[in-house]
Amino acid sequence: MIVEETLVQDLRTKSTQAQAFKVLVDMYKERLYWQIRSIVLNHADADDVLQNTFIKVFKNIDGFKGESQLFSWMYRIATNEALSYIKQKAKKQGLTHTDYQEKVVANLQADVYFEGDEIQLKLQQAIATLPEKQKLVFNMKYFQELKYEEISSILDTSVGGLKASYHLAVKKLEQYLKKD
Amino acid sequence: MSKNKNNPFKTPEGYFDSFQENLMDKLTKDEPVIPKETAFKVPDGYFDIFNEKLMERLDDETKVVPLYPVKKVIALVASMAAVVVLFFGINWNKSTTVSFGDLANRDIEAYFENNEFGLTSYEIAEVIPVSDTELSDIMNSSIEDEQILDYLNENINELDELNLTDNE
Repeated sequence: MIVEETLVQDLRTKSTQAQAFKVLVDMYKERLYWQIRSIVLNHADADDVLQNTFIKVFKNIDGFKGESQLFSWMYRIATNEALSYIKQKAKKQGLTHTDYQEKVVANLQADVYFEGDEIQLKLQQAIATLPEKQKLVFNMKYFQELKYEEISSILDTSVGGLKASYHLAVKKLEQYLKKD
Repeated sequence: MSKNKNNPFKTPEGYFDSFQENLMDKLTKDEPVIPKETAFKVPDGYFDIFNEKLMERLDDETKVVPLYPVKKVIALVASMAAVVVLFFGINWNKSTTVSFGDLANRDIEAYFENNEFGLTSYEIAEVIPVSDTELSDIMNSSIEDEQILDYLNENINELDELNLTDNE
């Protein structure tokens, strides 16, 4: 994509860097925010990780080889940052990954930036029980409506594998929501 | 189209009138039970002020620190002078100097245990070259397979955590 190439070039050139970075942030901040938020769940953590992501992008733009799209490269950084963020937080609190997830979902009820009804809260509890990959694929496909090809380039997994993960995730979630 | 006179089949009364309604009922019933909205919200104007906040943080992180600031040079010269004076002073007094080797291992360990460095193991791992580090560099005794299995048995809740496969 020509626009993307020019943007990357501008990001690497000292004189155009600042302006180009602003353009980049404007282009991606909301999309990356929702990707991060779907992993860390609360706003304060999402804000933290979003800033870390852009700082990492800014510092590593020379390392962007152009083999993947800028879009998938940035999504990958955001995803990795969010995942290591929750792993670190869980470790600091001496909790396993699963226990930490449950705790964060339980906190949603008191979160002023979560205005979900009972079913939406239950959906988040259900998502928390999914294995990491299924969770990522489900959020990216169902809520962010990314294409399988896009998810494939971000998560570096085959489209077939993703479809299977998504299918499994939906089945499990439906079962979870139907019970009681 | 009206009913053919020769058609012997009948429908319940009002069937076609209520068909649409019944169909819609069925359709909504079969809709996925998963809500499409996540109900996550952001504070008002969050995305508007995000750029500004990010730039401030970036400025802080990328501030250029001069290589040889005057104050640092003065401090360096002063500390070197102090070292020279101390060195000769100690020799004159014939007192013994303490070297790193004189510290007991447990003192060093206690120091690391009791002092907060503000570094997570993740951050430490980032600066230690993993490829050049052998297990034997950091451990005195070797680990038996049995001990590894015991550890995994006790500490790993889900096989997924090991990331052995794609976990699809």
